[in-house]
Amino acid sequence: MSQPVTPSSTEVQSPPSSAPNTLEIVNLRKVFGTRGKAGGVVAVNDVSFAIARGEVLGLVGESGSGKSTIARLIAHLYTPTAGEIRLGGQPVPNRLGGAALRKFRKHVQMIFQDPYASLNPLHPVRYTLSRPLKIHGLARGNTDAQVGSLLERVGLSPAATYIAKRPFELSGGQRQRVGIARALAASPELILADEPTSALDVSIRLDVMNLMLDLKDQEGLSMLFITHDLAGARYMSDRVAVLYAGTLVEIGPAVEVIDRPQHPYTQLLKSAAPKPDAGLVPEEIEARGEVPDLKTLPPGCPFEPRCPHAMPECKDGLPKMYDVGGGHTARCILHDPAIRARKQGLVGV
Amino acid sequence: MTAVIPAATVPRRAWKNTSLGRFFRNPRSVAGAGLLLLFVLLALLAPVLTPYNPNSLQFDAFMGFSAQHPLGTTALGQDIFSQFVYGARLTLLVGSAAGLIATFLSVTFGLAAAYFGGRVDEAINTLINVFLVLPGLPLIIVAAAFIRGGGVWPVILVIGLTGWAFGARVLRSQALALRERDFIAAATVAGEGPIRIIFVEMLPNMAGLIAANFFGAALYAVLSEAGLSFIGVGDVSLVTWGTMLYWAQAKGALLQGAWWWVALPGLSIALLGTSFALLNFAVDEISNPKLGGGRLKMPRRTVSAAGPAPVAGDALLAINDLNVGYVTPTGTVRAVRDVTLEVQPGELLGLAGESGCGKSTLAFAATRLLDPPGAVLGGSVRLAEHDLLALSPEELRQVRWKEFSIVFQASMSVLNPVLKIREQVYDAMQAHGVTDKAKLDARARELFDLVGIQTSYLDAYPHQLSGGMKQRVVIAIALALEPKLIVMDEPTTALDVVVQRQILQEINDVRRRLGISIIFITHDLSLLVEMSDRVAIMYAGEVVEQAPAHQLYAHPAHPYTQQLMNSFPPMTGPRTRRSGIPGKPPPLSAEIVGCPFFERCTKRMPGVCDVKPLQTFPVAEHQTAACFLYDPTVSPALKGNAIRESQINAGQSNAGQISAGQISAGQISAGEVSREPARNAKLN
Repeated sequence: MSQPVTPSSTEVQSPPSSAPNTLEIVNLRKVFGTRGKAGGVVAVNDVSFAIARGEVLGLVGESGSGKSTIARLIAHLYTPTAGEIRLGGQPVPNRLGGAALRKFRKHVQMIFQDPYASLNPLHPVRYTLSRPLKIHGLARGNTDAQVGSLLERVGLSPAATYIAKRPFELSGGQRQRVGIARALAASPELILADEPTSALDVSIRLDVMNLMLDLKDQEGLSMLFITHDLAGARYMSDRVAVLYAGTLVEIGPAVEVIDRPQHPYTQLLKSAAPKPDAGLVPEEIEARGEVPDLKTLPPGCPFEPRCPHAMPECKDGLPKMYDVGGGHTARCILHDPAIRARKQGLVGV
Repeated sequence: MTAVIPAATVPRRAWKNTSLGRFFRNPRSVAGAGLLLLFVLLALLAPVLTPYNPNSLQFDAFMGFSAQHPLGTTALGQDIFSQFVYGARLTLLVGSAAGLIATFLSVTFGLAAAYFGGRVDEAINTLINVFLVLPGLPLIIVAAAFIRGGGVWPVILVIGLTGWAFGARVLRSQALALRERDFIAAATVAGEGPIRIIFVEMLPNMAGLIAANFFGAALYAVLSEAGLSFIGVGDVSLVTWGTMLYWAQAKGALLQGAWWWVALPGLSIALLGTSFALLNFAVDEISNPKLGGGRLKMPRRTVSAAGPAPVAGDALLAINDLNVGYVTPTGTVRAVRDVTLEVQPGELLGLAGESGCGKSTLAFAATRLLDPPGAVLGGSVRLAEHDLLALSPEELRQVRWKEFSIVFQASMSVLNPVLKIREQVYDAMQAHGVTDKAKLDARARELFDLVGIQTSYLDAYPHQLSGGMKQRVVIAIALALEPKLIVMDEPTTALDVVVQRQILQEINDVRRRLGISIIFITHDLSLLVEMSDRVAIMYAGEVVEQAPAHQLYAHPAHPYTQQLMNSFPPMTGPRTRRSGIPGKPPPLSAEIVGCPFFERCTKRMPGVCDVKPLQTFPVAEHQTAACFLYDPTVSPALKGNAIRESQINAGQSNAGQISAGQISAGQISAGEVSREPARNAKLN
């Protein structure tokens, strides 16, 4: 499928800023399992968004929505099927190798979900953290001092206690801090955090989130924060993007999107999340079915089969992103002025 | 603010727990290594052990045992003992050299196939399959026949080059699994190149398998060499145990009564093979501790003479002073400590706690599903009129499903993939005597209606259902015999938020309609507070607080509960920084004096909490907490100090801790500082 590489101005959602964005992805697409033939799984379907310098973009979605695939596409662990990734305004070639790839990796680092799986069990902390320094030519002689200051920065202090330890000697929270230190080692501009807290115990999640917020504030990092937890996204992010079945359905300022969701799917997600602070009576949700099979997506809006507001027009191709004000857009024809006029008074979206 | 992490208290790994330590404590590896060492010494010391050249034909044929010739001579007049010790040299050389060559090929092909994937993988896989399909020994015979008489190296090469395929297949699949691990992706993102990823990240993690592979290949080589020599296709001018067998056979050793000429090399080959096999098993076992055999002595449950204590009121389930432990070689881990809990008829009891707090162990032990090394150390569990821990296996079978049933987190994988859903739903009912097909079908349809699945799925196979539907089937099966109690251990954790909410709604409807009790276990306190009647909070094996859900939510009593409730970012209201709970739970292998939460508690009272044995105190009606702040014998001044100090600390760090023992969640914001202004400033 051929994709226009140049973005239409309505498709790229940039935060209000004139400086070049740290990251822009334009119509990014990934189809798995085809080897050039038709009929693969469209894991990421023409997703576009941007992350400004010093901004945290929360990427929310259920499992299989394509959020981890997007992170791995940006990190060059997967090759995009189509679309473009721009770093600091400069397009990154889809095929990179050798020195160019190494240079790219210095700018983009990743934090993984499961700290028990993302650290090699055989390597001590010293090895894990000194490698990025050496790879990217940042090592100054014996790297112990540099590794020590990395450990202090992620709250593992005194560093001497941790530097020789192997992963099995650390708790889950400490391991994730080592994972964060590894991502920081190369002084990247962009950190892709793929559900960095969902494998951690509740009592230490907040501390890890706070650490990431502090680092962002101190070092002006940009961050893609992937999560399935709306409350966590609201806590961490400046803006939030919601993904459903590989398609971006809503994006806007975090508080706006989560307090006043404009897409029926985001509304469903919100009503399904436990909210003890909103009272003790759980909200009854109205939803049919489950996330669709990505191989047999409906032609129109992917959420149409489950949507309580579904109407015949929903099947006429993928809706565009409608501006709902304040940098907030949603991919739902309920925001189309013509349909609004017709359904006036019927739908209170 | 960043959390204060206490200096790690993890002790250095004891020597006996290292791989080498385990190697020397494993009886198989010790026996295997001992045997191998014996043969190696024999081979190395050959010139010392015997003065004769094994090939010299200077003696008479078929001499008996003597001081000069401890094992006599061969038909050709060679000294058998010197043939035996020198033969050990070549036999070991063949084994180790061919083993090394085969292992090297296995590792190279296996890793290359797994790492590069695609066409490389396809090509290598085809090659592996070809070698696996070719019958090994005939191939060697044919190959060896062409290069007859060229000394020992052709034999080694032939065996090495034909014996690698199986190992390559095994290593490839392990490397494929390793390649999918996150730490490989992490190394790639860090910028490592393929060479380093293969040799520094992947290979060391496969060391055990490679070693096991080597011993397996060496065993194959020794046996192949013996077989080749015995049938005369090897180089029979060499002295190996195999050629000894060949000559003994050719010269009719047995007819001449020289049975030891055959027995000695034959037995030695078998013993060397055994030693390699033992080492192969041992290395596999050590690098994969789950295979470890070795029975541990299980302690017996201590039961008070009076039997299970009578239960006040009419509780459906009564757990009394339950103690559960895991018996390990280094001591007993006490995972559940003196837990007393009751579940009323029709009640939904929520059991919350972090990983490792003992909540699942409690559920397993109470339902008699605990497997060794887990063991009930003391206490009682009574369900209606049954003393669950005292039931015989047959009695237990009758009670299970009928009186209580269990739904686990991974129970979706409990469904048998080759049986239709219908048969699996029938199963429990049939086991309890329902055999009428019409009745079974009617009941199955009724159950499916109850949990919200279309009855047409009764005739589907599990793979045709989504995760959420499979979990509904498992819940339907748990409901089949209308048990009085269902234990649900994280039944929705693996599911998506929306599906989770749908299933919880259904569970709630069903239990209200049928009046069954549920113990619902999860780490998600916010979910539990919404759906439970009563909540019990576990920490480090103890139940630290019990209260009706609305009471726990509005007035959490235990400092742990208070801090845990504050650990969930809110979905509404101003965005403010909150803090988690610094530190981590104490290790359960140690004896805990006083309160297990002492180290992490903001309201601790040194001299009280870390000294007195932990007790549970009433806080309000139906609410208890294992916290000395509610101990009437502790002076109010001391408690006041502790609470004041925690308030001061909270104020200093702007951490937003809950600032007093009994405040409502709505007041939490007092100690919080909004981070909105800072953020707004940054954007401009």
